[in-house]
Amino acid sequence: MSGASGLRSGLWHECEEEAVCVIMCASVKYNIRGPALIPRMKTKHRIYYITLFSIVLLGLIATGVFQFWPHSIESSSDWNAEKRSVRDVPVVRLPADSPIPERGDLSCRMHTCFDVYRCGFNPKNKIKVYIYSLKKYVDDFGVPVSNTISREYNELLTAISDSDYYTDDINRACLFVPSIDVLNQNTLRIKETAQALAQLSRWDRGTNHLLFNMLPGGPPDYNTALDVPRDRALLAGGGFSTWTYRQGYDVSIPVYSPLSAEVDLPEKGPGPRRHFLLSSQMGLHPEYREDLEALQAKHGESVLVLDKCTNLSEGVLSVRKRCCKHQVFDYPQVLQEATFCVVLRGARLGQVVLSDVLQAGCVPVVIADSYVLPFSEVLDWKRASVVVPEEKMSDVYSILQSIPQRQIEEMQRQARWFWEAYFQSIKAIALATLQIINDRIYPYAAISYEEWNDPPAVKWSSVSNPLFLPLIPPQSQGFTAIVLTYDRVESLFRVITEVSKVPSLSKLLVVWNNQNKNPPEDSLWPKIRVPLKVVRTAENKLSNRFFPYDEIETEAVLAIDDDIIMLTSDELQFGYEVWREFPDRLVGYPGRLHLWDHEMSKWKYESEWTNEVSMVLTGAAFYHKYFNYLYTYKMPGDIKNWVDAHMNCEDIAMNFLVANVTGKAVIKVTPRKKFKCPECTAIDGLSLDQTHMVERSECINKFASVFGTMPLKVVEHRADPVLYKDDFPEKLKSFPNIGSL
Amino acid sequence: MQSWRRKSLWLALSASWLLLVLLGGFPLFRPAVSPRPRPGAPQRWPCWLDTELLQSFSQPGELPEDAPRPPQASHGSSCNWGTCFDTSKCRGDGLKVFVHPVAARPISETHRKILASVEGSRYHTFSPAEACLLLFLSLDSPAGECSPAPTPWNRGRNHLVLSLHPAPCPRTFQLGQAMVAEASPTVDSFRPGFDVALPLLPEAHPLRGGAPGQLWQHSPQPGVALLALEEERGGWRTAGANSSACPWDGHCEQDPGPEQTHPRETLPNATFCLISGQRADASPRFLQALQVLAALQEMPPARVLALRQQTQFLWDAYFSSVEKVIHTTLEIIQDRIFGTSAHPSLLWNSPPGALLALPTFSTIPRDFPFYHLQQGSRPEGRFSALIWVGAPGQPPLKLIQAVAGSQHCAQILVLWSSEQPLPSRWPETAVPLTVMDGHRKVSDRFFPYSAISTDAILSLDARSSLSTSEVDFAFVVWQSFPERMVGFLTWSHFWNEALGGWGYTAERANEFSMVLTTAAFYHRYYHTLFTHFLPKALRTLADEAPTCVDVLMNFLVAAVTKLPPIKVPYGKRQQEAAPLASGGPGSGPKHQPPAPDCINRMAAAFGHMPLVSSRLRLDPVLFKDPVSVQRKKYRSLEKP
Repeated sequence: MSGASGLRSGLWHECEEEAVCVIMCASVKYNIRGPALIPRMKTKHRIYYITLFSIVLLGLIATGVFQFWPHSIESSSDWNAEKRSVRDVPVVRLPADSPIPERGDLSCRMHTCFDVYRCGFNPKNKIKVYIYSLKKYVDDFGVPVSNTISREYNELLTAISDSDYYTDDINRACLFVPSIDVLNQNTLRIKETAQALAQLSRWDRGTNHLLFNMLPGGPPDYNTALDVPRDRALLAGGGFSTWTYRQGYDVSIPVYSPLSAEVDLPEKGPGPRRHFLLSSQMGLHPEYREDLEALQAKHGESVLVLDKCTNLSEGVLSVRKRCCKHQVFDYPQVLQEATFCVVLRGARLGQVVLSDVLQAGCVPVVIADSYVLPFSEVLDWKRASVVVPEEKMSDVYSILQSIPQRQIEEMQRQARWFWEAYFQSIKAIALATLQIINDRIYPYAAISYEEWNDPPAVKWSSVSNPLFLPLIPPQSQGFTAIVLTYDRVESLFRVITEVSKVPSLSKLLVVWNNQNKNPPEDSLWPKIRVPLKVVRTAENKLSNRFFPYDEIETEAVLAIDDDIIMLTSDELQFGYEVWREFPDRLVGYPGRLHLWDHEMSKWKYESEWTNEVSMVLTGAAFYHKYFNYLYTYKMPGDIKNWVDAHMNCEDIAMNFLVANVTGKAVIKVTPRKKFKCPECTAIDGLSLDQTHMVERSECINKFASVFGTMPLKVVEHRADPVLYKDDFPEKLKSFPNIGSL
Repeated sequence: MQSWRRKSLWLALSASWLLLVLLGGFPLFRPAVSPRPRPGAPQRWPCWLDTELLQSFSQPGELPEDAPRPPQASHGSSCNWGTCFDTSKCRGDGLKVFVHPVAARPISETHRKILASVEGSRYHTFSPAEACLLLFLSLDSPAGECSPAPTPWNRGRNHLVLSLHPAPCPRTFQLGQAMVAEASPTVDSFRPGFDVALPLLPEAHPLRGGAPGQLWQHSPQPGVALLALEEERGGWRTAGANSSACPWDGHCEQDPGPEQTHPRETLPNATFCLISGQRADASPRFLQALQVLAALQEMPPARVLALRQQTQFLWDAYFSSVEKVIHTTLEIIQDRIFGTSAHPSLLWNSPPGALLALPTFSTIPRDFPFYHLQQGSRPEGRFSALIWVGAPGQPPLKLIQAVAGSQHCAQILVLWSSEQPLPSRWPETAVPLTVMDGHRKVSDRFFPYSAISTDAILSLDARSSLSTSEVDFAFVVWQSFPERMVGFLTWSHFWNEALGGWGYTAERANEFSMVLTTAAFYHRYYHTLFTHFLPKALRTLADEAPTCVDVLMNFLVAAVTKLPPIKVPYGKRQQEAAPLASGGPGSGPKHQPPAPDCINRMAAAFGHMPLVSSRLRLDPVLFKDPVSVQRKKYRSLEKP
């Protein structure tokens, strides 16, 4: 969509430019010819005119240049982003006795420690996030509390500031992000940092405050959550264990790997790789390393255990090399050579290698008991990783071998997709964190499991049928017949009389599409056994037939044209019965087909006697009333207006819509009949008929381009009563009167 | 002349000026007017001049590695799956469950239902030595005391303490490493990933089957109240779409007053029900309800529709009977043991649900017949014909030729279950033909043979007779309905008032609910379900009364899909000749329906009648239409 509108505005500019050019050229020409055209004019006057013209011309040129120059003057420099140095930020002195927040409250949950009312109810269902301005905190002696801000934290705050969540109005914010950088606990003075937090203007025991931390804890016991006392503040932490993670309150985030940005690892297709299992971490505990080396000894080439290189020449970055005995490997490239990659707990649970492994499309084997995997609240890690208890480390090889190859390939794809979507940049990490919190506050607008977890390829091809529950609606509900009419009153009355004979009809709705004429008086309408309502429309539009009128009380709708008088009551009743068995489909009488025209390389509309159908005409079709809602409010692109403007193809549009949203084919019911339809009643035969067919083909091509795909499904079957044309007494058949011409 | 020229010149000039002003004027003045920064624009995070000089949050020495750390001992008091459950015992046969006998007699009704459910499960074992999960039913004895810990307790290792109702008495023993499955656990004591939360069921909850969901239509009825609120004294109060909603700041200007109250017995007729966890004071809850109402009014219809349907699916798949609740609990534990080969999330959350989608079949959703739409995949374009030769007679040469003639046929498997010796010569066919020796048991027909290489199976009896056209058309239809059975001959079931039980007939009728498996297409997954999901008793029943096997297979597929099978046209010639079914309830005296007991025993075992009737047959689009036969693709279907 954005592509299309972009193109349009591009064209628009082209036109403007051209227009100006024409004017300018004209003026120039005029100017050149000027003297010849006005030969007898006085020189004084001539000069006067020429000057005047030049001014006008100059003005026009200046305008043109100004207007069509790349808009650098205005947009390239952000008015608001002040150009300042980090070193110039205000200094805040923290007295030694300033208050310290309580330690983190382990019992905090969204409904106890978070004030949702601050977020308010807003139509966009987006939380508002405020970022405190950057300060430099020093203690009484002027010694800084921490490094002012790290590159990554600056990136993170920039990402939030550029996002839809951001607000600069502290009074409207529902989530506050301090600019105090606590990404790495090692660079902090814990007590002083806590004091700095406590003096933030809206701190209020940390309510609705969010801290980002990737490296928690410190020697010797490395806590799995940030040690800075933070009271009720939410923690987005990398390396939580189940003991410190407050389920549904904290957010577990990845430890960002700088290699994500430095190294470009092109995606490698799934499939078997040289090594089955690889370990690339350098600082492994000897006990783990022994276990892994035992596996290597047992399984040979298929297990590769790498370590730090000891004999690297000067200047070679040791972080980017790994060694096994005397062999040197490039890191992280070597990860692409393995199917499974070990991610073992170090001092901390969260390991940066996880990100590198995912980037390489290697399936992580996470061996870190009680580790809460990043974004595990929304990401389904079973699809992308294998979690093995530390105790089972020696069995890891056999556990992995029991996984079928096809499942491994899915996991490889999934691993790479998780990295692309949620690990590859600080921005991705920040936005996923905010989205998770947003989903908790507006659960009814939350992103679905599929949206979080399905890779784009699956998202594009998958269909989530809005009527997915296998359910056969009770017959007693009946259906509402909707007749669209303009002024063919006589024929309309016949249709009404015929349709009213159908046992399951529960209401009849006439959509009166003629604004210039009143519908007949009440007394003139046929007397029928069900309620009959006339709806008058404001404009003569074809879309009016698919409007979700409040008067429709049944789920089943029968759309019927005001000239379809040839359908028998048996046929209509049977159609309703078929719809009950397929309530998520269009169930209709005349069937049509779309075909690919190889010569013209485009779609073609076909109404001949074919062995296949892909559409049914809505001149007589049953469908679920939800599709009326979809047609009216969710039709993609400009299709609805296009249909109304051309007064044609509303039925093809409906077929596209339903097939696209359900992924299912139509059901054509009962044998072919002679229908009064545009194709058949063309007044002067062939020519009108052909124009009609061309128009219909154009519709198909137009709609296919708007949908970006051809959603229609071709089938070779139609529905008939069980005993149709069987050698069986007619009077014992439920629907004997079927197919009579 | 001159004046004319001058005039025209002036005209041109003024026109140019006008153009200039129009075109240039506005943009020319714009920058001058625009202040810096603009008042409306938000104050963004600054773009630091020295961004490039900022240091990374982690020093190179520190990352990517940090100090090594020895393996950790388990974390003392609290348990999680990795530390407190020993999966090594489940290695062989997967989950095996033993139930500790309870001393207290007589046992309560709930206790009996749980026991029956566990014993009906394929995970059950009578030997504690073989078991990897020991189930202890924590139930109150009539005397009001709680049962003591069973022996051997072994500090609760690999134990599951299960109670469907909150225990009225305090636990008299130390839980140790035991898991707890109970209704409405508190956040403080519940250990995610280790304990199992159960729904709070009424005492009278049925053992099997259970009432289906009460939703009869996908979308809410117009005019139905949007929200019903659980009242303090156990009624419901409803609030419609017109009720005044409160803003989120919690200030309700007007008191909405009581709208409509319903007694507790009648469920409210509303789109949403607000259920509060705590029995708190009513007034703040009503306030809460109105805030919820405001949010609900904003909810798009597509989401309302999806949520409604999901409630029904979840109820029907996991909640509607005690058996489902217990089996779900065991399935959750089985998934933890399986690890990577557990149910993918999709299998839990979309129909037919995890109890009916076995991960032992596959962990890739595309392999099942149910998820093609969600996965954007389509069923394979080929089928395997599985011909069962049970009764003595000639090898089905004609049938083999007809089936092998289909362009979609990938292989033919002959399951030789006859007493006769295997014939040495088989016809030459275009597709591979494999002969397998069967065990003379009818249930063998539905064994998941590894030789079956396609998703679709055409199940045949040696005495069936089909034409290539019929096979082709039926297969093309199956591809549109891969989760259903597509067959040629049908039976229908009915309620026999006189006998007070179910009956079924092979007589031709206006509707049908079963297709005969002697000639039917279905997905190979149903072989796995038939063999590994159905209780052994039912398969034995089928072996004893061979005609029951058709009923059983139809019950199974209907219970999974909740939809009727599909009938396709079948040439007249065979119908008039020998019935297609061998020993089916045909018209001849030889083919009398077996004792109606078959269908009733199955209905009892399933806990309900799963069969659904259909009134339609799928024919080729031009079937018997008055158009030249040359135009018809399946013309031989119409031959008299």
